Amino acid sequence: MPKRSTQPPGKPQQPGLSALLKPYRGRISLLILFAIAGNTFNLWIPKIIGEGIDSFKQGSYNQTSIIVRFAVSALFILFFSYLQSIIQTYASEKVAKDLRQTLSEKISQQSFSWVQTTGPSKLLTNLTADIDSIKLFVSTAVASIASSVFIIIGASILLLTINWRLALAVLIIIPIISITFFTVLKKVRALFMKSRGIIDSLNKTISESILGAALIRVLNSQQYEFNKFIKPNSEARDTGFTILRMFAVLIPVVVFTANMAGVIILGLGGHFVIAGSMTLGDFAAFNNYLAILIFPIFVIGFMSNIIAQAGASYQRIASVLQAPDVPDTGTVEHTVKGNIVIENINLSFGQKPVLKDVSLQIKAGTHTSITGPTASGKTQLLNLVIGLLKPDSGNIFLDNAPLDNYRKEALHQQVGIVFQDSIVFNMSMRENIAFNQRVSKEAMQKAIATAELATFAASLPQGLETIVSERGTTLSGGQKQRLMLARALAIEPKLLLLDDFTARVDALTEQKILQNIKENYPGITVVSVTQKISSAENSAEVILLMEGEVIASGTHGELLQTCPEYIQIYQSQRSTGNYEL
Amino acid sequence: MNYDLNSLAASKKSNTAGALRKLMRWLGEERRVLIYAFLVMLVTSGINLTGPLLIGRAIDKYIAKGDYPGALYTCLLLVLLYLVSFGSNYFQTILMGGLGQRLLFNLRNSIFTKLQQLPLAFFNQNKTGDLISRINNDTDKVNQFFSQSLMQFISNIFMMLGSAIFLLSIHMPLGLAALAPALLLLIFVRAISPFVKKKNAQSLQTGGAMSAEIQESLHNFKVIIAFNRRDYFRERFNEASLKNYRSAIGAGLLNNIFLPVFTFCSQLAQLTVLVYGIWLIKEGNLSVGLLIAYFSYVGNFYFPIRQLATIWTSFQVAMAGWDRIAVILDMEIHQPVTMLPSSKEHPPVLSFQDVHFAYPGVEKEVLHNVSFQLERGKTYAFVGPTGGGKSTTAALMAGLYNPTGGSVMLKGEDIQTFEGEQRTGIVGFILQEPFLFSGTVKDNILYGNKMFDGISNDALETVIKNAGLQGLLEKFEQGLDSSVSGADSVSLGQKQLIAFMRAVLRKPELLILDEATANIDTLTENLLEDILEHLPDTTTRVIIAHRLNTIESADEIFFVNDGRIIRAGNFQQALAMLMQETRVS
Repeated sequence: MPKRSTQPPGKPQQPGLSALLKPYRGRISLLILFAIAGNTFNLWIPKIIGEGIDSFKQGSYNQTSIIVRFAVSALFILFFSYLQSIIQTYASEKVAKDLRQTLSEKISQQSFSWVQTTGPSKLLTNLTADIDSIKLFVSTAVASIASSVFIIIGASILLLTINWRLALAVLIIIPIISITFFTVLKKVRALFMKSRGIIDSLNKTISESILGAALIRVLNSQQYEFNKFIKPNSEARDTGFTILRMFAVLIPVVVFTANMAGVIILGLGGHFVIAGSMTLGDFAAFNNYLAILIFPIFVIGFMSNIIAQAGASYQRIASVLQAPDVPDTGTVEHTVKGNIVIENINLSFGQKPVLKDVSLQIKAGTHTSITGPTASGKTQLLNLVIGLLKPDSGNIFLDNAPLDNYRKEALHQQVGIVFQDSIVFNMSMRENIAFNQRVSKEAMQKAIATAELATFAASLPQGLETIVSERGTTLSGGQKQRLMLARALAIEPKLLLLDDFTARVDALTEQKILQNIKENYPGITVVSVTQKISSAENSAEVILLMEGEVIASGTHGELLQTCPEYIQIYQSQRSTGNYEL
Repeated sequence: MNYDLNSLAASKKSNTAGALRKLMRWLGEERRVLIYAFLVMLVTSGINLTGPLLIGRAIDKYIAKGDYPGALYTCLLLVLLYLVSFGSNYFQTILMGGLGQRLLFNLRNSIFTKLQQLPLAFFNQNKTGDLISRINNDTDKVNQFFSQSLMQFISNIFMMLGSAIFLLSIHMPLGLAALAPALLLLIFVRAISPFVKKKNAQSLQTGGAMSAEIQESLHNFKVIIAFNRRDYFRERFNEASLKNYRSAIGAGLLNNIFLPVFTFCSQLAQLTVLVYGIWLIKEGNLSVGLLIAYFSYVGNFYFPIRQLATIWTSFQVAMAGWDRIAVILDMEIHQPVTMLPSSKEHPPVLSFQDVHFAYPGVEKEVLHNVSFQLERGKTYAFVGPTGGGKSTTAALMAGLYNPTGGSVMLKGEDIQTFEGEQRTGIVGFILQEPFLFSGTVKDNILYGNKMFDGISNDALETVIKNAGLQGLLEKFEQGLDSSVSGADSVSLGQKQLIAFMRAVLRKPELLILDEATANIDTLTENLLEDILEHLPDTTTRVIIAHRLNTIESADEIFFVNDGRIIRAGNFQQALAMLMQETRVS
């Protein structure tokens, strides 16, 4: 297992959101520009209203000029704000799409063990929820914050120019509201994080109840699942209540403060108007600016939340993007014969040793069987040979060249593997079998015939074009297994690895298939992991693996002479051995 | 019965109002709370609406006439009113928000319960990734609306309606003029809404498809590597991603059209009030104070709409999500049942009577007219070539599916008449593909077993010993506490061992093993056989296997091929059949 890369000291900090947006700075600047342009006119409107009232009072009221100025502003606002929304939609979706692509490319180049240790579900979250939160940031936060800051500053300046004394009295509300708002929001954010964690555990319970639907129905454990679910659900509700109580205090405080500003305008502004130091139009303008001022403060508060979430999401994505590349350093491409030499291999998963000092040899063109009890490391041995896993120590040679020296693609083009678990993709039978794209039509037909799938394929409504569903439910266990064999044979492998292939295929079919392989693929090297001695009996060499160690190797006959463990297994299966051959 | 959610959604027309009505039904007991909340909101909105009027009057009566004490008096009155609204504001948040939280809690519970009640066919007809995304993301969208926007939504509506009333009652013609642009808005929203909803649903759907794509590829990563198809993941994903990109832009462009149009209409209203209002003042029909109050009301009317524009989007997204959830909630669980009356005095443990079966949504029958009986205490083996119908027979025995014709009788009664708990108390079933929940070995072998609630490790070990299962437990290095979370931390064989222990500890009367030991080595399998043999004499065993030694000890053997089941008599006969019969698949 490769170790997680640790950050070397002195490396600059992980790139933040600004680095992410750098390639899009043209679009982002345009976005901000339009947002500010639209809001400039927004700020102008209360002034037009105030002037209208004043000019009327002073008798210099010009209706056409007011209408024209007002209408032009409104149209400009409409124009700029829709332009802004178009750009923010395209920009945010483009950022998301590009990031998804970069991320999926990175993931697709990683090793199997990296995907396993990182966890497919975490990667799913990275590709969906995390990218969504970055998308939200681009689509709302950028323009909103730019406009909000602009409005707060702009309106404040305008108020100060109209009447600085009244403006100062009114603007007191900004710090009061801001401080209350940000204090509460800080606490709420921690609670949001907590509730996110609870929602995650809720989702996990739901996911497992879907994946394990069959088992739950077999055991009638619906109630049990529900009990498992109700706990995080109640917690989610309670956290929701706690957040609610904070907002219940926050909202009245903010509203009351804003209302007090209105009272100040009436009390102090009224005094100025009566004293003659302010016009009634300016008084009206003050009221209108007050309405414009408060909303942006909220916006900035809520946006800071979105920014924090997007930042955290991007950190998670960046850690995936920074995973070291697995360069394919292999250069060997020559045709594989199938001589495998394994020397002193050790492999462990975490603390758990899986293979202990395993050495063995496999001759090209032969059939070798690896047998042994459950969890003896048979599957992992195959995974090593095909390069899915790398040993902690020891060497693997294929035709005298270290396995690592092979170019991966060349290796996988010549080594076919049938995994133990059924993996059927949600596409047509043809696409599933010709999964490797270099497969020719003839090779596919030969593989289908060899895997004894021809009759079955012909019986399907759309033949090979029939879509086999996600978890392969329309196929039986044995059919899935044979489909996987056809997939491996279709690449015309020189070396074929079978992992417990015989487990779900009946003895008769198994014999037929093995015979077919011998006839149709002369010279092929077969390594099969099996539980059945009867399947192993005819192979050139049988290797017995127990607890990650090679106990014995030799022909069936030799092992029966020398290996007590083998004899024991043989005895346990012997009664039916005759019939299965 | 069709359980395919995507085809169901396509066949059903949906609208926001319908979704909302369904949602209202969920309120139930909470309606009273809703009324209280509305009352409190009325107080808050009332005060907020009186404010501008008082200020307007103060301008006309006091400020315009230089009566400063009068203005101060109004100020005092306003402060008092605002203090009251401080309290009512607090209570409205608590009441409304609490309602939302409880509703959400119940909704999640209902979905989960429903999910547990749905038959297996439902899960086979829907993609796992899509299903998970539907349930998790869509409830989350409903969640966000309920916990964050619901209250704003309602209080904004109150504010809007109140302002409209004030606008009209102060001066009817001016009020109408101020409200006219809102009519434009209404027409605009009505015209555009269906598109918005369609586009958003599309965007959600492509998102689900994308998740499904990732899920499939990442879980099958080793095949992708071994067959040189790293490009497969990239290409399939990029295709799904591009589709999502396109539909999301479509949805985004429509969602974002609202705000600019709303703003424009509200400015149109301000302009109307300004020009028409000044004209009215000139004619002596309005005062300057009231004109200023009017601007506040226009603001109070249109500003909520502007906010509603934002909330409306999240409301529509929530309703689209709710719609997708509702399809599941509306799903019928009980299928029409044709029952045979119980007849015999000593009924067999289980019998098939002229059973036909085809998987939902598939025309081809898997079982044709199958009949057989299983007696108490005997061991039965079902053998036959792959694809012959063995696993399907087993699933029907366990009541996982209902036959499309004929009946499956459990202890003389139609299996469909049994309550789940009753049925699973009698029938134990070890599935071909074992599934483990994240947790420990102990969690998994006791999973769903009420007999051993809260049992200690030591006590459980004794139970396991008595059942003869300790040999199996030894296969796990940390025994009961071995962790089984994570895909490859345990082998397939080990998973089957856990499934075996889980089933045996439940002491079923009928135990079905569907290829349940396929990946277990023969030494361990001998141990399993030993355990099976030592089950109580009354236990009926059904074994489906390919390995002949596992069925050698069977009392009776059935040969399953091509959807038909033939009694094979003894072991030799069964062998002969296996050798002679041509495979059909």
